[in-house]
Amino acid sequence: MQGTPLRRGSMAGSGGALPALTLVGLFFVVPVVALLLRSVTDPEPGLQNYAALFGSGTYVRVFLNTFLVAAVVTAVTIVVAFPVAWMLAIMPPALGSIVFGIIILSMWTNLLTRTYAWMVLLQRTGVINRTLMGLGIIHEPLPLINNLAGVTIGMVYIMLPFMILPLIGALRAIDPMTLRAAALCGASPFQAFGRILLPLSLPGIAAGGLMVFVMSLGYFVTPALLGGTSNMMLAEMIAQTVQSLLNWGLGSAAAFVLLIVTMALYALQLRMVGARRLAGGL
Amino acid sequence: MLLDYDRLGWLRAVLAAFTALVAAFLLLPVVFIILLSFGSSRWLAFPPTGWTLKWYQELLADPAWINAALTSAKIAAMAAILSVLVGLLASFSLVRGEFPGRQLLRGLLLTPMVLPVVVFAIAVYAFFLRIGLAGTTIGFVIAHTILALPFAIIPIATALEGFDKSIEDAAIVCGASPLQARLRITLPSIRIGIFSAAIFSFLASWDEVVVAIFMASPTLQTLPVKIWGSLRADLSPVVAAASSLLVGLTLCLMIVTALLRRRSSR
Amino acid sequence: MTRPFLSIRAVRKTFGAFVAVHDVTIDVPKGEFLTFLGPSGSGKSTTLYAIAGFQDPTSGDVLLEDKSLLAVPSHKRNIGMVFQRYTLFPHLSVAENVAFPLRVRRRPDGEVKRKVADMLALVRLEKFADRYPGALSGGQQQRVALARALAYDPPILLMDEPLSALDKKLRQEIQAEIRRIHRETGVTILYVTHDQEEALHLSDRIALFKEGRIEQIGTGEDLYLRPASEFVAGFIGNSNFLPAEHLETESGAATVRLADGSIVKGVKATHALSRGQTARLMVRPEAFRLTPVSGNASLAVEIVDTAFFGDRRRVVARTGSGDEIDVRPSSDAAEPAGADAAASRRIFFDPAQAFLFPA
Repeated sequence: MQGTPLRRGSMAGSGGALPALTLVGLFFVVPVVALLLRSVTDPEPGLQNYAALFGSGTYVRVFLNTFLVAAVVTAVTIVVAFPVAWMLAIMPPALGSIVFGIIILSMWTNLLTRTYAWMVLLQRTGVINRTLMGLGIIHEPLPLINNLAGVTIGMVYIMLPFMILPLIGALRAIDPMTLRAAALCGASPFQAFGRILLPLSLPGIAAGGLMVFVMSLGYFVTPALLGGTSNMMLAEMIAQTVQSLLNWGLGSAAAFVLLIVTMALYALQLRMVGARRLAGGL
Repeated sequence: MLLDYDRLGWLRAVLAAFTALVAAFLLLPVVFIILLSFGSSRWLAFPPTGWTLKWYQELLADPAWINAALTSAKIAAMAAILSVLVGLLASFSLVRGEFPGRQLLRGLLLTPMVLPVVVFAIAVYAFFLRIGLAGTTIGFVIAHTILALPFAIIPIATALEGFDKSIEDAAIVCGASPLQARLRITLPSIRIGIFSAAIFSFLASWDEVVVAIFMASPTLQTLPVKIWGSLRADLSPVVAAASSLLVGLTLCLMIVTALLRRRSSR
Repeated sequence: MTRPFLSIRAVRKTFGAFVAVHDVTIDVPKGEFLTFLGPSGSGKSTTLYAIAGFQDPTSGDVLLEDKSLLAVPSHKRNIGMVFQRYTLFPHLSVAENVAFPLRVRRRPDGEVKRKVADMLALVRLEKFADRYPGALSGGQQQRVALARALAYDPPILLMDEPLSALDKKLRQEIQAEIRRIHRETGVTILYVTHDQEEALHLSDRIALFKEGRIEQIGTGEDLYLRPASEFVAGFIGNSNFLPAEHLETESGAATVRLADGSIVKGVKATHALSRGQTARLMVRPEAFRLTPVSGNASLAVEIVDTAFFGDRRRVVARTGSGDEIDVRPSSDAAEPAGADAAASRRIFFDPAQAFLFPA
């Protein structure tokens, strides 16, 4: 249905965006562009920072590790989130709202608080190791922190709401009639899942998964606290290069690489779902 | 029948059990941290051997913690007010405006949300070093406003999109000036969106770690910076006490939000 | 006519190369109920928006009691309007909604209270004064919108398809309410709709729009009984069009040859046609008879289907040349059924009630 059109000029209604545009232009675009310029000018003009970045085994390992962690986190998050989203999409709202409340509580709780809790829970003498040893399942404490396992657990914990919430929307958009029809056509629950439900929810899974992957790529706090020095991720490396080594040129180059990858994946995401759906998943 | 709750059969039990397990996983750290904050062991033994309030006493007696909390509250409040005001104006443009590049502008204003914070953190830190805003309250507020702006724009723009422009036109035909119509009709109608924007942008600043780590100076520390420092040093139970108070704050905000939503949907 | 109350003069609205309204001119006397009728995109709403001030016409003028409205912003035009969609203010009660235009005009409290009570009585919603819009049905919401639009005694009330979101029964109910309110208040109403029945039911006059122009303006009877064009004839009421060849016109009576070769004499000639020009003969379904009447023309048809609708019968017939025609004779005794499906027979009509349009 068309709205009631109001008088309009060619730039009508653009004035309100001016303060925001000024703020973001001056304190976001300018600093980021200046940083990128720094990667080719500091300490001297040239591409030596990028050469150093891609020429050194240490840095290449950081890149690979970053992608590995993001991929593992995304995969685990999808597998854990799907059944939960499925259940929440069809559950009676009264029951579901409890689970919703828990998801929101975990999402809104201070990031450092959550990470701190996992640090304590996962440490050598932490609750998880003690419980497992007490139950006789293991005899030696499992190394759960300062390694890939620690980062994965902590990151999956943080990313789950970002996967579950959009997936619920995607699953609710599927007409239950199609699955009833599949059952009447003789499909077993497994066939109905594999041939109808999963393919129909695939766009939602892909969109949510891509978002989790992009967010994981640039994550700083949780990998820095739960990960080990041997599997450092890109964000932490950038922070360290700038803060401890004061190597602004190299840090800027690494930041540029992270920016390009993130923005490219984000653009892909936009093409897949459109900005509206992405924003709605918040 | 896979999407009919009542006809799922045995699968329902499996899904319900799994959902309960994930809910427990999500709840675990939050509950754990609260229990831990009352435990008497300095070495974070669990289950605690005894119960105590001494970590809270230690926390509240330490001016460094109190100052950090006050600094955070001040910066978050200013960043929230600024981003709601700027976001409100921008949302009207983004939703109602008809000018070339509107989608591009929307993308630009939302970019700080998707760009890895660490990139923005070092960029704005370098920039502020140059113009003398590093380590200042105003610098903190500006940087946090940039990060909070998308969290203000999204709920306001969504509310505005759901608000039928014809209602505002009706107010104008009734004799209200365009400004009056916006203030008396449109703003009250999208108040839930504005309120959500205020909460989200406050939290975006209040919980922000990465920019804060770079921007902080010995005299200007936010709460997350203080916690970050403690975590890197040791896992003191005082952090558990501080964290529990933060969980309490989150719960309060959730309850207020839920109440307001319920009242407005009446 | 003395000076018109509202005068729309050569209003034209273009969007780029597209001409939405093509130099529309109408004079509206005070107290008239005038309907803009037409298919969607015919320019009727755009004309209404020009009067409301939502859109500036590209050229032309809108005068109210000889004063141009164009320079006056919407909120100072003092015009009442009911919109297609529900536009009650969601955060204000029914009474506060009706009071809103009076409050922005800073009327004294006592007057506001009295006026709100009057208006709610006018739309018979006194009991709902303290409800919120969310708790009202669509019909009730539009009645409150009507009360709000009339609260400040506007000289003109604009209504932009106000009933299109309602179901049929409710629509008829509120149509009766609108008629009553128009009678009681005497307000001048400009009403936009694409529903010809609604237009016929409500209006003093109807302006039928087609592609940005007014095709014909007049009372419902004018448009129905004296359609100026094939478009008007087709849009208002039901009609059958039969291909015909114009043979001659003599003193206002035309003679045509139909596709099956039969000759019809005495058709009212409203358009100048040349000899041998192809034309279309329009006959209303209810103008057909199943029994012969002297002076009537007749058509040889095959009955395809027949159904009984209480006051009318509906017969679908096919002519020898394959045109399907809709026949709705009244179902009284003088029109015996006798129209069995698949039967061949003749049907009759009065040529003076048929219209001839150039093809």
